[in-house]
Order: sequence, then C-alpha cells, then structure tokens
Amino acid sequence: MGRLNTGVAKAAALLLAAGLALTGCASGSTGSTAAKASDAKVELRFMWWGNDTRNAMTMKVIEAYQAANPNVTIKPEPTDWGSYWDKLATMTAGNNTPDVIQMDEKYIAEYGSKGVLLDLEKAGVKTDGFAPGTIDLGRVKGKLFGVNAGINAPIVLANPKVISAAGATLPDDKTWTWDQLNAFAKGVTEKSPQGTYGSQNYGAVEPMLRVYLRQNGQDEYSDAGVGFDAPLLGTWFENMQARTADKTFPSAAEATEDMGKALDQTMAATNKAGLFYYWSNQVSALDKATGQDLKLMRPPSKTGSAKDAQLWYKASMYWSGSAKSKNAAEVAKFVSFLSSNIEAGKVMGTERGVPANLAVRDAVKAQLSASDKKVVAYLDAIDAERGKTPAITPVGGSDIQLGRYSQDVLFNKSTPAKAAEGLVNELKSKVKV
Amino acid sequence: MTDSATMTPDADLTDAPTQRRGSGTSSVRSVFKHIALILASVLMIYPLLWMLVSSFRPNELIFREPGLILDSIHLENYTVGWTALTNPFGHYMLNSAIVVLGCIFGNVVSCSLAAYAFARLKFTFKNVFFAIMLLTIMLPSHVVIVPQYVMFSKLPIFRDGQFLIDGGWINTFLPLIVPKLLATDAFFVFLMVQFIRGLPKELDEAARIDGCGHFRIFASIIMPLMTPAIATTTIFTFIWTWNDFFSALIYLTTPENYTVSLALRAFLDSSGASNWGAMFAMSIVSLLPVFIAFLIGQRWLVRGIATTGIK
Amino acid sequence: MSALSELSHLKGGKQESADNKSAYVFLLPWLLGLFIITLGPMVASLYLSFTDYSLLADPEWIGLKNYQRMFTDPRLLNSLAVTFTYVFVSTPMQLALALGIAVLLNQGMRGLAFYRSVFYLPSLMGSSVAIAILWRQIFGTSGLVNQFLVYLGFKNPPGWIADPSTALWTIILLHVWTFGSPMIIFLAGLRQIPGMYYEAASVDGASKWTQFWQVTMPLLTPIIFFNLVLQIIGAFQSFTQAFVVSGGTGGPSDSTMFYTLYLYQKGFGQFEMGYASAMAWLLLFIVGAFTAVNFFASKYWVFYDD
Repeated sequence: MGRLNTGVAKAAALLLAAGLALTGCASGSTGSTAAKASDAKVELRFMWWGNDTRNAMTMKVIEAYQAANPNVTIKPEPTDWGSYWDKLATMTAGNNTPDVIQMDEKYIAEYGSKGVLLDLEKAGVKTDGFAPGTIDLGRVKGKLFGVNAGINAPIVLANPKVISAAGATLPDDKTWTWDQLNAFAKGVTEKSPQGTYGSQNYGAVEPMLRVYLRQNGQDEYSDAGVGFDAPLLGTWFENMQARTADKTFPSAAEATEDMGKALDQTMAATNKAGLFYYWSNQVSALDKATGQDLKLMRPPSKTGSAKDAQLWYKASMYWSGSAKSKNAAEVAKFVSFLSSNIEAGKVMGTERGVPANLAVRDAVKAQLSASDKKVVAYLDAIDAERGKTPAITPVGGSDIQLGRYSQDVLFNKSTPAKAAEGLVNELKSKVKV
Repeated sequence: MTDSATMTPDADLTDAPTQRRGSGTSSVRSVFKHIALILASVLMIYPLLWMLVSSFRPNELIFREPGLILDSIHLENYTVGWTALTNPFGHYMLNSAIVVLGCIFGNVVSCSLAAYAFARLKFTFKNVFFAIMLLTIMLPSHVVIVPQYVMFSKLPIFRDGQFLIDGGWINTFLPLIVPKLLATDAFFVFLMVQFIRGLPKELDEAARIDGCGHFRIFASIIMPLMTPAIATTTIFTFIWTWNDFFSALIYLTTPENYTVSLALRAFLDSSGASNWGAMFAMSIVSLLPVFIAFLIGQRWLVRGIATTGIK
Repeated sequence: MSALSELSHLKGGKQESADNKSAYVFLLPWLLGLFIITLGPMVASLYLSFTDYSLLADPEWIGLKNYQRMFTDPRLLNSLAVTFTYVFVSTPMQLALALGIAVLLNQGMRGLAFYRSVFYLPSLMGSSVAIAILWRQIFGTSGLVNQFLVYLGFKNPPGWIADPSTALWTIILLHVWTFGSPMIIFLAGLRQIPGMYYEAASVDGASKWTQFWQVTMPLLTPIIFFNLVLQIIGAFQSFTQAFVVSGGTGGPSDSTMFYTLYLYQKGFGQFEMGYASAMAWLLLFIVGAFTAVNFFASKYWVFYDD
C-alpha cells in the first residue's frame, strides 16, 4: 500500500542524515570556539570587502600572521562592497558578528553606538606611532571602535591628454577658485569632441560638496547632528544646474548614467573628462584605466589660497572588532598586526589607502608604484593645510541621498532650493546624535 | 466516445503531436514565420552572444565594442578567471551543484505530495491551508530572511561527533536545501495542483475500482502523467537555485562554501578595478550546466500524453 | 467546476474521514515546512512591524507608528505608483507574448527545439549581474540602441536607463524579454492536453481553428490562471531586475524604485527593519486582495475537468 511513500520517506531521511553529516564535517566550524581553560587555540573570523586582488593580498597577510602565531587560526570571509553591509547587518542580528571586521566611516557610529563593536583600546590595541589625529578618526564618543587602516583625502584629478587636446593649460591648484575651475572646464568642453567634457559633474560628488560646505563655515555633520543648512546647499545645486546648462558638465542623462557606473567604466576612466573628483585611494585604479599619468590637484577654494581649502584626512577604512568576540585580546593583537606591522604593511601597500602608521608608511614608500608615490606626495603636501577634523558620520547619516536630489534638479523635477530643503529635512529626520 | 481509457505516456514526441502536422501550410507563410522567428531569436540572444564574444576580448576592449566581430581570441579570461579566486572556479560550481540537486529532489518529492492532497483529496481546513499556502508567497522574502537566519543559527548541528549549537546551520548548505524538502516553495505546489486538476478524474476512479489506495494512485497514475509539471519544476528549481544570490550571501560565509552566484561577485569591485573579462568568462562557464539542464529537462517537458485502447 | 466551488466542497462525503488521514500524511512535509520554516518567521516579521528594529540592537516596541508613517511617506507612495505601473503594464504584455509563442511553437515546425531554447535563454540570465551590464550596454546614453538611432538620424536620443521618464520602461522591457518562464509553463500545459480530445473533435469534423478555441483554450485555462496569479504576485514583488539595472538605487530620481527595492533599502540600508516589515505586510495585504479577486473571477472563465 504505502510502498512508494515509505520508500520516499526512507530516502529523504537518509539524504537528510547524510547531508547533516557531510555538510557538518565539510565546512568547518562557524564561530570562534570557546576558549578552553588550558588550551590557547584560538579561531578568529575575519570579514572584509574587496576584489580578487585585495583578497589575494589579504590572504597572504593572514598566512603571515598564522605562521607567527601558530595557535591562532583566522577564517577569511571576504565579500564585495555591495553585499558587505547586508551580510554584516544580518550576522549581527543573528548574534554572529565576525571577530575582526573591516569598517567604514559611514557606519562606524551606527555599529559602535549600538554596542556591536569592541572597544579596542580596552582590548589592548597598539595606538602609538600613528600620524597625529589619525587614531582619533576612529573614535565614537571617545571610545576607539576602529583603527585607521589607511588615509585618504578628496582630490581633483586632471587628464593631461584631454586637456592638451583642447589646447588648454591647467591653472595652479594652490591658487585657483571655483570660478576659475568652472571657466577652465567650460573652455575645455568647447574644444573637445562630442561626448567629452571639461569636468565631471561635481555636484553629485559628496567629498566635493563637503569641501564647499567647510569653506563656507559649515560641514556635513557637527556634534549636534546635521551640520549644514538648505540655503547653502541650494547655491550648490544652482551651480550644478548652471554648469549643466552651459555644458561645463555633461548632460543630465550622461551625468546620471555616470553616477551608476563602476569606477573603471566612468567618463573619467575612459578619457572623456578633463577634470574629475574622487578619493585619493582611487588614483591608481584611474591611472590604470585611463592609461595616463593623471595630475593630482587640490580642490579649489573660495579665496584662491590653498590654506582656505579646508581639506582633511579621512580614514579610508578601519579595522574593528566584535564586542561579543570570545577572544578580545587576540582580536586586538591581530588588529595591531594589520595596522602597525611592517611586513603586513609591505604586502598590502597602499591598496587600502596610505598607511596611517608612520613606520609602516616609511617602509612602504620604497616599493610604491609611480601612482602611489604621487598620492603619498599629495597627502604630505596638504598635511599642513588641513582644516578642522570633521565629525564622524552620526547614526542615521550614512546616506544623504545626494544622488537622488541631484537627479531631481538635473531633470527639472525640483528647483535647486526645493531640492536642498528636501535633502536637509530628510537628513534631519534620520540623524540621531 | 470512450467509456474509459487508460493513458500512458507517449514515446518521445520532441515535435508536434501528430494530429496537427501537415495540414498544408503554404511555404510562403512558412518562410515568413521562420524569418520572423529568426529575427526574434536574434533579439533574444544578442545580449548573450555579446557576453560570449566579450569573454574572448581583453578587459580594455570589452566596453568599447558593441559588435560581435572578434579580431582575435583571447583565452586568458578563462584561464585567469578559473584560478583567480581562492579555489578553482569548478569548486564553486560543485557547491552550486550540491545545493541544486538537493533542492530539486526536495521540491519534486515534497511539492508533488502536497499537491496531490490539495488537488485530489477532501479534508477539513483544505481551503484554509490552500489560502495560507498562497499567502506564504506574498510576503517579500527580505523581511522573513532575518528571522529565518536567527532561527537557523540556533539549530543544532552534528559536528566533531556530537550535536553542537555554535552558529548552528550557518555556513552550511542546510538552510538552502532543507526548506525545499519541506515544500516551502508554494509556487511548485500550486503549479502541480493545477496540472493534476487537468487530469480527468475517471482515471482515479478506474484505479479505485481496481482497489488502489491513494498512494498507489499517486505513484502509479498521477506522477507519470505529471511529467511536464515535474520537468518544469526541475528546470525552474535548477535555474532559480543556481542563480540565487541573497540567501547564499547570508548563509554561506567562508569562500570554500560559496556558490557560483557569490563567486561571480568577487570579480567585481565598484570602487576600484573589476575584472570584467574574467567575470564574463566565468558567467558563461556557469551558464553551461544551467543550459544543459534545460536541454535535458525540456525533452521530458514535451512528452505528450496519448491514449491507448479502450476498456 | 470552478476553482472556488471546488475549494468550498470540503464538507460531507462518505470518504471524508478516510481522506483526512491520507491527506495529512501527504501533507506532512508541507505542514512541517509551514510551521517550522515559514509561519514562525512570518509571525516574527509581523511583530517586528510594530517595532523600531535596526538589526544591530534589540527591537523596541513603537506600536502603530510605522504604519502611520507609511501613509505620509512620499517615497513609499511613489514606489507604489512605480510598482502598480510595472505590474499592470508588463504582466499582460509578458503573458500574451508567452502564450502566443507557446501556441506557435506547439504547432510543430522545423527547428522547434532550437527556438524553444533560444526563447528561454533570456530567462536563464534574467537575474544575474551580467544582465545589468548588458542592459546598460544596450540602453545607455551611448549604448547600442542610441547608436542605432543616431545612425538613423535622430540627433538627441533619450537617455533610456539614465532618464527618469524612460528608465522604468527599460525594466518593463527586460521583464518582457524574459517571457521564457511562463512560456515553458504554457508549453507544458499544452502538452498535457490529452490527445483523445483532439481526436474526438476531428472525428466530429472540427477545423483546427475551432479545435483551438473549443479544446485547447478551455483546457489550458487552469494553466493560464496559474500564470496570471503567480506572475501578478511575482510582479508586485519584483526586486532583482530593478536592483541590478539601477545599481540598487531605484534611480534615476526614484523612477525605478520598486516597492520591494524601497523595502530592502529601508530594512538593510537604513537600519529600519521595523518599517520594512510594516511595508511587507502592507504589500501582502495588497497582493492578497488582488489574488482573492483573481480567484473569485476565475469561476467565470477557468475550466477544470474534475
């Protein structure tokens, strides 16, 4: 009677049991095993984002650490940037946060203030030997939740080929103003072929907005929350609208498309823009994609003096730990290795940003590529010109929706003033200090 | 007409059922039809062909050429892509294959059982359960996945000779396969219900008279006649599981457990340099099993049903 | 016999108790799955919809605040508009195409297997990352389509993917392009129509056209109904294509911000999983209502042989 059914049931049970046994054995343990009393065997889970180049590099660093510390096993869990935060949030919800985490400035307050991250100072991490101010970038309300894994700064890049093809000469980046930049770029567009523009649309580039805000006495964030007001943002959007109309910037559709492209597909990377705006740790990727020796320039200032540019150092990423890790001391030790160890630094180079630890930076200087040397020189040059250290992005501030409001202005769905108000109000409703 | 008839699956009908062929379509109409179909086919597969051709181009050229003409064939995307990640790409395909086979088995068995009950049996709460089953498809998975994740992380797992909790089923294939063994894919239950309802009840009744119980009817009569539905279930489960990204992302944490969909992402880096050529090459490679599964599955899909004999 | 009347025949019948036992044995895997894997998390998400839950800390009860906020959230209302447009434009288009091609292919011709595979191929790739790249290559500002238009003489072709007024249409087109899935189901359904009906009809002297309308279509209605219900449910929950083509932003200017994409952004990107859960339950309510309408209407046009 029930021959088929029991047959099926048996098969299903067998499969389930086999599956349990197989997969249980094959994949190894998932969490750090509880430290047994006498045994010092430790397992740390280590999660980071990157591409296959960075992953290979990081694996080498892991192997080096494991060789030097045979009682420690490190389980690598790399992901790509786009998926990283979904995964981390879900793991945290399931109480399964990895021991060592790569962290970003946009989220460190979010994770830190909710008790997810380990207080690294208390756990014993090394904080000496770093460039002044760079360790403090990882503090949220005084507690050190992330150690600086690399420094970067906003940068203006110039494509020599596009500019000389238009017969133009670059202004001096120590004395130029926004108006000079705009006029220069407009001239380049006029003399360039269809589809090539003097400047990328910097209206939707957050670091450039921040430069502008800081030069006008405000900033993206302050200790009280949102640090800028709608009228100032409105002038920024008006400028963007005007520059798009007079063809200094690409058209609305081209600019929007550009915003969504991967770095090596953008107009900048394909030699279709004269000036473009990124973070300094993206320079070598851009050099490679354009095939040029791009010129690094400071953002312009209101007054024409580099000292008023109000630049700053940002931590390109941090090394953080999980507050619920069973091996806090080991986590701190590994984080110290990642950020202060010279051998580790030599393997990773400036791929994650210029090392904040001075000894590592010196050791690495010799092996740097020409691109990376340019970047280090730039960071050194602006060191003395830096303005006030910016406040960390507070809880709720991780996405100011600059892209969306810019698109609203570009496609005339909103006036610059209204878009500015919308952005500021939306941000204010989300930010919790 | 016929009082009762037995039905058996027909021999391999890869083309049309006999009664519809050869009623004299003019050759002009036929030529037009073929031209239209060929044009449509080109539209359908142009993007795929472009991806195939791009996988043979070096990275710098890929996005500059919209056309399909190849100047020279570069195989390094394939060789580099195969070895670029921590394990050779075939390892990820094997992982995907394990998950997929488990899911196909689970879906085919458990969904058909449930579908038979809904389609052929009377029982209390039938329409309530049917409505609930449909409701389960209507809730977006993103809000259910976190509670499910938490639940899976607390289930015991057999490791090192004992049952542990320790992260539970996370980083194993279990959260991806076990739900399919329990008919959680209501899509296929509903699909099979509709197919079974299309089968005449006379067959069941004839078997009843012969003294068969429900299980016998299910196994010997309904299942063989459901080959198209089972083939569809197999094909769709294969493809959806092979391409599934979010569940794999959440449940599989170490690279050696990654499935193909996760591995392909590793080639991309939106803020740096991506290895497009390798990604396209490995995408093509990963499409092959899916396509083969489809080719095999569709032969079962089109086995028609014919009657033989009259009682 | 209609779907609904069939469903309502659950009382009475001499076999009821015997059927009950068998039924529950057949349903055992499904019941286990329902209670352990599906219902528990669903109830949990209902609970979460009344909380403020960031995923990083424990949920905090806030009562109906999420639901109240939803009705004045312009981005949510916009996402509903985008989703409704998508559902009611792309579903009929896709199903009509799928049915038409399935019927065409079922008639037998040379190269049938080839065409069937070719028309199904887009569905194989439909949700992969590669598709986003391809779609941009085709519909970008200087993509294939625009290159072709410029060649034909249009000076300023639209931005397609990069323009808020046309971006949604590229996604609708992407959905229609992947008509292979419902097509396969229609083909399977066509194949399962017992040959004896056609034989009987031709014995009675019916033409091919009459056979199509009197035999094929009525017997196909359960499958058409299935595809209609599930494509609508699926279309309301459409996520991957919009995510992949817009790069996760729903842009430009929220023109491709599908409801589930906004839900995902709220839940995972903005750490508001409570609000996302409330959105999910609202969607369930909407989709449930449409499905119920579908089922009630089905008794007028769906034909079951049992």
